[in-house]
Amino acid sequence: MKDTFKIQLTLAFLIFSMSLLAGGGWPQPKGKSFIKLSQWWSVGDKHYTDTGELDDNVTLGIFNSSIYAEHGFTDRLTGIIYFPFFSRSYNNNLVSMTNGEILVPGDAINSIGDTDIMLKYGLTKKGSKIAVAGTILFGLPFGNDEGGIFKNLQTGDGEFNQMIQFDAGTGIRLGGKFDMYTNAYVGYNNRTKGFSDEVRFGAEVGIGFNNYKWLFITRLNVLKSTKNGDLPSQINSTSIFANNTEYTSLGFELNYSITDNVGVSAGYATATSGRIIIASPSYSVGIFIKL
Amino acid sequence: MNLQILSYLFLIFIFISCIGDDFVDDAVEPELRITTLVDTIRQGDSFQFEVMYLNNVGQQENVEVSWNSSNNSVLTIDQNGLANAVKTGNVIVTASYESDNSIIEDQIEVVVGMETVINNITRSGTIQVTSNYILKGNFTLSENNDGLLLEIDESYEASENLPGLYIYLTNNPSTTAGAFEIGAVTVFEGTHSYDIPNSVQLNQYSHVLYFCKPFNVKIGDGEFIN
Repeated sequence: MKDTFKIQLTLAFLIFSMSLLAGGGWPQPKGKSFIKLSQWWSVGDKHYTDTGELDDNVTLGIFNSSIYAEHGFTDRLTGIIYFPFFSRSYNNNLVSMTNGEILVPGDAINSIGDTDIMLKYGLTKKGSKIAVAGTILFGLPFGNDEGGIFKNLQTGDGEFNQMIQFDAGTGIRLGGKFDMYTNAYVGYNNRTKGFSDEVRFGAEVGIGFNNYKWLFITRLNVLKSTKNGDLPSQINSTSIFANNTEYTSLGFELNYSITDNVGVSAGYATATSGRIIIASPSYSVGIFIKL
Repeated sequence: MNLQILSYLFLIFIFISCIGDDFVDDAVEPELRITTLVDTIRQGDSFQFEVMYLNNVGQQENVEVSWNSSNNSVLTIDQNGLANAVKTGNVIVTASYESDNSIIEDQIEVVVGMETVINNITRSGTIQVTSNYILKGNFTLSENNDGLLLEIDESYEASENLPGLYIYLTNNPSTTAGAFEIGAVTVFEGTHSYDIPNSVQLNQYSHVLYFCKPFNVKIGDGEFIN
């Protein structure tokens, strides 16, 4: 039982270190904190159309420098914040191949990004074989949803959203120095200002080595739009902020704990299919601290 | 150690977040276009012909144009395009421009008769989709009381699942540079029309262009066939 708890405590740290908005079924223990400084970015010149085909577009880029922090108020209740304190969105110049003149000037905006505040509650007792937790998320529209000369750049979607999510996870000893965990989640995101609601679900598998000093994670995320909001033609948003966006993404992440309290991570994710969203991989690097 | 990591993160951010250039193949054939739409000039009258030169990216340029009449006994024309209708008959007026060892020209057939008659033609074309979004239909452009009227017919259909779709008149279907922006597309199915101000001439542009502003990408176009 002790071992199971230890595994799950470790998982609680490590899962948070690689997934900004997930966290799995494991709340933080009372008085414990986890902080992660991350850089996330995605740059691409193609997007998925409404029929899932790939079309070209001007190169769009979005970058988030963020702090993710969580704190265990009790053994079951954890407060979480995701704060992109610097968010940058840009698009390239369109330049004539014939005479080199700029046809449509590029543009960039910098601001803070949309911020999430979450409360996670553990629905199962410590040491349960399967850890289940419910999370309520409030998405605060601190980002800029119509920046730039043509008001087509965003560091946020401009809407206040509320999401409820349930996670279930379990840890498994593989033998030797290897451990494994799995986690699955399902969530419903209620969005405002004409944006369609979203159903989100996914799963991940993490393989740990040497008591999770090294952790390799594979993650599948699916987002489905309920399409109950305005049509995309009525909302001037692009990249990752358009309406009725859908995607299935596959991600990989490697975490390394430098000390017991400090570690680094690097991640890669790509959409295997999508609708009305930029079709480029995203990358992330981060450093995390456990207190 | 932590400072080093943060420095690396910062450097990564700096190097990949600058505005770069995306190149567009926007070459078109240079064109000389007589924009005057006249069918008949009254005998004894003077008449001013207008012409525009569009360069290899479809932008209007001022160039030295030569004018020529196929029959000076019917109509004479000077190098400024000012014609004098001498006697009744048919004549071909040619505007030409010599550029880089090639001659670009446009012609118009004119009648010298009893009354001056301005052509009131209707230009037309078909929308061709150039992306994976739905876009189709036929269009006509004609003069109305105060300007022009662009009419899209009942076969028209456009995807509503695209942010920021705009419609333009242009001489280069690859770009909105130099194009006349008609406005945001708000009708996605069936017959509708756009009023064009009288600052735009009927044969000033060669294409209708549909362009997604937020993604800065062309969705489709349609060339005027007349």
